[in-house]
Amino acid sequence: MENQTTYPAIEVHEVDFSYGKSLAINNVTMNIARNEVTAFIGPSGCGKSTLLRCFNRMNDFIPGAKVTKGEILINGVEIHDKEVDGVELRRRVGMVFQKSNPFPRSIYENVAYGPRILGEKNKGVLDGIVEKALRGAALWDEVKDRLNESAYGLSGGQQQRLCIARTTAVDPSIILMDEPCSALDPIATARVEELINELKRNYTIVIVTHNLQQALRVSDMTAFFYLGDLIEYDQTRKIFSNPSVPQTEQYITGRFG
Amino acid sequence: MPSQHILHEFDNAIGALRADTLLMASLARQNLEHAMKALLERDIDLSRSVIADDTDVDDLELKIDQKGMDILVRFHPMATDLRLVISSMKMAYNLERISDHAVNIAKRAKKICKAMPLEEVSLSEPLYTLADGLLRDSITAYSDSNGELGESLKARDKELDRLHKQVVATLSGRLEDSNGRSENLLHLIFVVRSIERIGDLSVNIGEDTVYLDEARSIRHTQRQKDPQPE
Repeated sequence: MENQTTYPAIEVHEVDFSYGKSLAINNVTMNIARNEVTAFIGPSGCGKSTLLRCFNRMNDFIPGAKVTKGEILINGVEIHDKEVDGVELRRRVGMVFQKSNPFPRSIYENVAYGPRILGEKNKGVLDGIVEKALRGAALWDEVKDRLNESAYGLSGGQQQRLCIARTTAVDPSIILMDEPCSALDPIATARVEELINELKRNYTIVIVTHNLQQALRVSDMTAFFYLGDLIEYDQTRKIFSNPSVPQTEQYITGRFG
Repeated sequence: MPSQHILHEFDNAIGALRADTLLMASLARQNLEHAMKALLERDIDLSRSVIADDTDVDDLELKIDQKGMDILVRFHPMATDLRLVISSMKMAYNLERISDHAVNIAKRAKKICKAMPLEEVSLSEPLYTLADGLLRDSITAYSDSNGELGESLKARDKELDRLHKQVVATLSGRLEDSNGRSENLLHLIFVVRSIERIGDLSVNIGEDTVYLDEARSIRHTQRQKDPQPE
């Protein structure tokens, strides 16, 4: 995981991924640049979430699911090497899910949980980490006076930002987001999108979204997937104004999918 | 247009926008034709009808703007669809100005017709032929999404500019020895100026069709190539 400035944040080389005998990703190759937001779009079942979950080996938990060909390098290191520890990988490559999933604990404990299990015991240090993460997630001002209250008392949008704070508290370099706003109202969605724009200063972000306008608003690069193939990968502005591949044009203009 | 949208309402809205833009184009071109006919055939009634018909063009511009904005808000168009909406709205703006120039010509024609026949009006005819050709082809370029045709108009407009300068020089020269015709010669200078502007506006439409067809902006490219004087 060294040489962070030398390599792309994520390199995908000719990757096949299968659920048992069913091929979900077919020979995908792409590089994801550091400190940019990359959006994965495509119809349901196209493989975009599967590929996202490959980046921190979340798919390891699914029986029979595995990368059957190719390699994935994070900061220049092949993540399937024996030396790579899955837990450490998931610390460096955090994930925010479609539905916010705070722990049934206080707001403070939700954020402090990760650093604590990584061995941090100093209360002063933990307080600093919690404040920094909550500020980074644009949540501090809203919760600073009730840090010890249950996270379940927060609104859906606040819970999602709490999950983002929980992710950043363990100092990842990459944040994966799987439809992070699909359960949020427009205002909460705008807050998360604003947050994504802030976060990219310090993190590489890959976001799966079905909301094409969201991909346009937040991402620098966009990848369009269809039936497990990477159809087109280019600058977001190019993809949405003048895509090179007719299939992409057909999808983004609402003619198939 | 490529295949249909999954959402038929989107197809209907895009189709209606396109139909209104083409209708506006044909009305603007017809207004220009009638204005020139009024001038060349000394038909005051036709001049009046051009002035009256301009209202229809103005109404269509508002309608196209409204439909374009509705599509942007309701359907969030992308790629070719987005370019069609933007190009149609910009084309409507240019067509409205073209029709305004036709009205200017008609108003000048009315004044010229009230005086003794002015043989110099025939000097405007070759300019009109060139300008109308540019307008016709700009409309075809939009209707066929033909960026190549759209891009070709700029070069052809240079011939219109050249001829315009020549006619203005001729008319200006005759002003000095006009024998009481100076007012009408001035009206005619404004007429040919309007025709020249219609050429420019047709070029604008042609440039927008390049954007429509190829997502490429060619506006102001000559100015970028030519170094500005110190």
